[in-house]
Amino acid sequence: MAQPPEFKKDLLAAIPNLRAFAVSLTQSADRADDLVQETLVKAWDKQDSFQAGTNLKGWLFTILRNEFYSRMRKKGREIQDSEGAMTERMAIHPNQHGALDLDDFRKALATLPEDQREAIILVGASGFSYEEAADICGCAVGTIKSRVSRARVRLQALLSISSEEDFGPDAISTQVISSGPA
Amino acid sequence: MSDNKAKTLATEQPSGKVRRDAASNLDIGFKLKQYYDSILTEEVPDRFAQLLGELEQAEKKTEGN
Repeated sequence: MAQPPEFKKDLLAAIPNLRAFAVSLTQSADRADDLVQETLVKAWDKQDSFQAGTNLKGWLFTILRNEFYSRMRKKGREIQDSEGAMTERMAIHPNQHGALDLDDFRKALATLPEDQREAIILVGASGFSYEEAADICGCAVGTIKSRVSRARVRLQALLSISSEEDFGPDAISTQVISSGPA
Repeated sequence: MSDNKAKTLATEQPSGKVRRDAASNLDIGFKLKQYYDSILTEEVPDRFAQLLGELEQAEKKTEGN
């Protein structure tokens, strides 16, 4: 069946969002772009199953996410890391007292288990409701809520370690130096 | 940009645990968006538009026959 030209236009318009989600999931620009490419091909093939007027972005995110996890399974990679172990390995010292560098944030985000990371991205950045995020992830709304909340707590812990007494010596000297007039 | 605002918020209140936690909470939501937006605003590689063009052409050909 001939698809109205809007479908292609809508796909094009969705690409930046798909890339942002893909980068968040894969933590790699190259793998993300491969994932987006595969998503576009799949979406094109399945376009007849998309119901016009429904949420295209959610539909595409679902395809991308399924593709991501199916690749992970093929590779036989462990999806989850045990929670505490990762947190212990990570200690992020902000460049400035309390002011998070974007790179620090990226590192912290990368340590989250995939299920928490995708939940907080979908709800906190991609603009989906808890309900939509639950649809995309194929789980209950309560599960999404709990993942988002655990992700927040964990990011908080990772990123605020150094605002407490746990300040590294480097962070303190940087603080002292940077707080004076240049 | 509002980045400055968040930084000010976090740096102007170096003492007081509660205030710092509140600032860092704000900061996490803010940084999450900032992180995401930094990818959103990247230039999209041409390969995607080309790919969609090719898919469209391929479909037109099969339908034409």
